[in-house]
Amino acid sequence: MKFLNSILIFSTFLFLTFTSCKKEDDQPKQGEVTIEFDHVWGSAEGEFSLNKELTHPMLGEKMTFTLFKYYVSNVRLKAKDGSWYTMPESYFIVDADASGSNKVVVPNVPGGEYTDVEMMFGVDSLRNASGAQTGALDPAKGMFWSWNSGYIMVKAEGTAPTSTDGTFAFHLGGFKGENKVQTVKSYNFGTTALVVDGEREAEIHMLANPARLWHGAEKLAVKSKNHMPNALAKSMTTNFYDVVRFDHIHN
Amino acid sequence: MISHKIRFLFLFALIWSYSCQDDQDKSDFGLTYPDYFPAPHYQFGKNKLTREGFELGRALFFDPILSIDSTISCESCHAQGHAFADHNTALSTGIAGLSGTRNSPALFNLAWQPIFMWDGGINHIEVMPLAPITNEVEMGQDMEGAIKKLNNHPTYSKRFRSIFGEKPIDSQQLFYALAQYMSMLVSYNSKYDQYRQGKSTLTADEDDGLQIFRAKCASCHTEPLFTDYSLRNNGLEILNDDLGYGRITLETSDNHKFKVPSLRNIALTYPYMHDGRFRTLDQVLDHYDSGIVQYTNLDPLLIQNGQLGIPLSQEDKLKLKAFLHTLSDFTFTSNPLYSE
Repeated sequence: MKFLNSILIFSTFLFLTFTSCKKEDDQPKQGEVTIEFDHVWGSAEGEFSLNKELTHPMLGEKMTFTLFKYYVSNVRLKAKDGSWYTMPESYFIVDADASGSNKVVVPNVPGGEYTDVEMMFGVDSLRNASGAQTGALDPAKGMFWSWNSGYIMVKAEGTAPTSTDGTFAFHLGGFKGENKVQTVKSYNFGTTALVVDGEREAEIHMLANPARLWHGAEKLAVKSKNHMPNALAKSMTTNFYDVVRFDHIHN
Repeated sequence: MISHKIRFLFLFALIWSYSCQDDQDKSDFGLTYPDYFPAPHYQFGKNKLTREGFELGRALFFDPILSIDSTISCESCHAQGHAFADHNTALSTGIAGLSGTRNSPALFNLAWQPIFMWDGGINHIEVMPLAPITNEVEMGQDMEGAIKKLNNHPTYSKRFRSIFGEKPIDSQQLFYALAQYMSMLVSYNSKYDQYRQGKSTLTADEDDGLQIFRAKCASCHTEPLFTDYSLRNNGLEILNDDLGYGRITLETSDNHKFKVPSLRNIALTYPYMHDGRFRTLDQVLDHYDSGIVQYTNLDPLLIQNGQLGIPLSQEDKLKLKAFLHTLSDFTFTSNPLYSE
């Protein structure tokens, strides 16, 4: 009896050691991937920041942003072998203020090499119609219309001397019908893959250009406010999303 | 030895059955409704319905803490005695005496309601309270501020924690609690319901009224909820620039369409229409009989054989009114479960 017991204990010990070793050998450590959105102004990619007077290259009007936020959601990473890692509960507000909230952090990414990132600009239609949400989707974040349920997917506010009341405010969204604004985009990293091994920093740098919102749009002197899902929201967000581009990776 | 084992098994079975019983008691708290009601639209989902959650929602519904200056609660404009409509006022008064443009709707059978507000702009019961809480002429309170007040409140913070766990209160918890209370407001004990359940009979006039109702009104005010939740232009004279559903869809063909309200408790919820323009049921019936204004998007049911409106004789109107009064549910308006 005693002999049998000790065999059992010994073999269990052996089994545990063996399996835990195996795990470490086969799977590289998971890690965190950061997607950083750097904001530039105009096709010249000049400096963009809040509370700084800028001149819009196409409108020719001066404008000072006090707030610039937008949703990014449903982030996925494509591994070298073609498989995808999809982040669960993947909702972020990218905020151009200087607090570091221009970063989207994807935790627990399986170790490996990645070649592409895919993301949705805006919030998927399901979450626009599923009742009370938390985290980045909490309506208390001020990015949800109370009277016409749905997320404000891009919010740009500030002052502009040419606007009739001296301010501009564009709350852009809409998740259904022909004016739905949410859009999936994917970006290839080119020749170098992004390595995730739990040790190295893994950063993806994106460039977004808020000036694009007014690409071919009316002057702020004519139109300085929009607070609903409509064709204007659709065209402004499309123009903005279309030129968000991959810049480089940092490993 | 054997008897000892049996005794042990018996004890085990007793404990097991007791714990089952306990589960049963907890799950007994839920929506109750008659078998002629359809399945509710709102199924609670991740919002687990409990007595504690319901009671928390009830406390919040009655508490002016959710308004910016702690003067207006949900109940200020949704009073139980009026089936949770306002106190027979056309337009409600919000903070600082401010007033909006639409009549406070009655609140009941909301778990069956797929869209909210007169213009149908809100798509889910959980996010419904966001509108009155944040609206500048209603409670005027931004969500961040509302959540902060609740987190700083000794009793509420404790109650929320005991239901939602050891984490700060967020708007989801607030909306979950309010949705539990609002969904539980079920009205199904009117005389009409007693009649449907074979517990009561209708008078001759009421019964005639029911037949007229079924022939002339029920295609929009569909039984048993007495609405089909559609949005329609019912031919009201345009008195202001409220576009109704058109404001939501931006389609001119949706202008001046409003959600068909339930007719349950209709005698208790005057005045009528989205702006409370009619004080009496007589005025409402006169409107459908002879007051319909022609619009390109007027509801097709309001033009029959080239004739505007729904022809109703004086006798029809009397009988219809007799029937409409059978939809008052005084068990609902006096149910202590719903009041603080």
